Amino acid sequence: MAAPTRPSAQQPSEPSVDPAAEGATVEGVPGAQAAAVPGAPADVEQVAAGGSAARDTWRAFRRQPLGVLSLGVLGVLVAVAVLAPVLADYPSGTGSSVLAPPSAQHWFGTDNLGRDVFAQVVWGSRSSLLVAAGASALAIVLGTAVAVAGAWWPRLDALVGLVVDLVLSLPVLPLMILVAALVGPRTTTIVLVIAAFSWPEVTRVVRSLALTVVRLPYMDAARLLTPSATWIITRHLLPAVTPVVVVSVVLTASRAVLSAAGLAFLGLGDPRSWSWGRVLFEAQQAGAMSSAWWLTLFPSLAILALVLAATLASIAFNDARDPRSRVRR
Amino acid sequence: MPALASFTLRRLARGLVTVWFAVTVTFLLLRLLPGDPALAIASPTMTEETRAAVLERYGLADPLVVQYGRYLLALVQGDLGTSFTQGQPVSSVLLERLPWTLLLTGAALVVTVLVGIPLGVLAAARAGSGLDRLVQGLGVTGQSLFVPSVGVLLLYVLGLQLGWFPIGGAYDRDVYGGEWYLSVLRHLALPALSLALVQLGAYVITLRSTLIEALGEDYCALARAGGIPYRRVLWKHALRNALLPTTTLVGLQLGFLVGGAVLTETVYAYPGVGRGIYEAVTQLDFPVLQGAFVLLAVTVVVANLLTDLVYGLLDPRVRT
Repeated sequence: MAAPTRPSAQQPSEPSVDPAAEGATVEGVPGAQAAAVPGAPADVEQVAAGGSAARDTWRAFRRQPLGVLSLGVLGVLVAVAVLAPVLADYPSGTGSSVLAPPSAQHWFGTDNLGRDVFAQVVWGSRSSLLVAAGASALAIVLGTAVAVAGAWWPRLDALVGLVVDLVLSLPVLPLMILVAALVGPRTTTIVLVIAAFSWPEVTRVVRSLALTVVRLPYMDAARLLTPSATWIITRHLLPAVTPVVVVSVVLTASRAVLSAAGLAFLGLGDPRSWSWGRVLFEAQQAGAMSSAWWLTLFPSLAILALVLAATLASIAFNDARDPRSRVRR
Repeated sequence: MPALASFTLRRLARGLVTVWFAVTVTFLLLRLLPGDPALAIASPTMTEETRAAVLERYGLADPLVVQYGRYLLALVQGDLGTSFTQGQPVSSVLLERLPWTLLLTGAALVVTVLVGIPLGVLAAARAGSGLDRLVQGLGVTGQSLFVPSVGVLLLYVLGLQLGWFPIGGAYDRDVYGGEWYLSVLRHLALPALSLALVQLGAYVITLRSTLIEALGEDYCALARAGGIPYRRVLWKHALRNALLPTTTLVGLQLGFLVGGAVLTETVYAYPGVGRGIYEAVTQLDFPVLQGAFVLLAVTVVVANLLTDLVYGLLDPRVRT
């Protein structure tokens, strides 16, 4: 695909690392600005080109070492979660050596009951990734649906905007704590609770682009061709917001990891399965948090690796899908 | 100043709507969630008869609308129910903890701004340089940090190994007068620093990108063309305008900040509302959990309102 002609009203040098982690507001969505200029809505043109745009994005993505590296880290984490039974025995019961520092036998040391911390971290990756995937999938579907519906039916949009603003201005963690404590900490509950309070962030991001897209000329053209709202929404509106949704998936997932770890750290993790937050919680309960550094270091590094890799991957993707930043490179 | 007055009224109304929303969501969650709604009032450890008596006393047999009205009425009077475990009104349990949480979050915000502004300005002034990339990298990493991890790290290194700061609590018991205030500050240092570190990344990155945008605008070019030194344009002209969106971000993030405070207080056994939440979770003290959420929501709304009003005074543009 040839580089689109630059719109005359260009922003000054766009930051290569934009505040994408802050939910990619309009400045994180280059198409939203370009779209106002008739002729060259970057995102839309890209989507219309279909497969070749995806290939271009992928080619640009591969040129970013940090993006590739973070994708690799994510791959390793998924592999660890899948291969957990091969890598370590399920941590249960008690062991003979209590609070032993890392050694050849116990790579990450042992906890106050003599259980292997390496095994806990390995098995913990399962529930952490599961919660991240489940909660972000739910939040994305719900958040995108609400945003797109609001953009399409303006009367609904006022309500959508209000609810999103309201939820985003509340301290969400205490609310999650209340609900998780009431319903009981099960992995499914945690997924639902996190999803229930994460979708407004998705809606906020997707909505700002969707509202721009519905005003574009090609949407009017589509309205002339078909009376079917479903057709236009699924064939034209949804594809146009897909790039933002992809970024949102990653960011929502990494937020979900932090929320789940926070809940587990307060004792609201599923007691029947290991998670990184639970390892920290048990260290805190045992009063071993400050003396046995290995109890907190390794699960903390695991959380950091997952969240940081996800954030960097989304930034790299954001840069890669923007033809303007591709030209600059 | 009719514009300012109507701006103030609108913001006030919005704050009230937000509080109403928070309170209503809590009510609906407690009554409509799967599981026993009576859990919200009656402790699961009570016997069947006591529980029935308690339910009767709290009118849980009445229609939902009646319960809702009664709940709102009680809240307006500052009644948040009674703690299961402490037998005291939730409001008094939490209100004596609130100042500590305000102190902690306030200190964290001050540190964030004091460190964040120079970092953001430095990065924006040399956009694209190695220093800029370093600041950006640190910013992204900061956003990915898990609050308790940072807390434990600081506690372990600066508290335990180096012994520079106390490792828990909010003050020393056996000191009075000026020394007491000093001990409060020393106990505050680590938790506030942990919370600020987690907050800092988003602040610096936003400030940097809004500053770069501001520097590219006509009035900055004009100021430069008129011979005003770059440094002065950067700090006086561009920074003032970049601070507004950045402060708005701080307002938007207050909810996250409070969430971070809950976790930080848990790590440091800091006697704020957050530590109260942690203790209430282990004891399944639902009235305290509910009250804590309502109280923190009100706090965030009030803080947002104050920021908005100050900005309405300082910047005529936001009054529209």
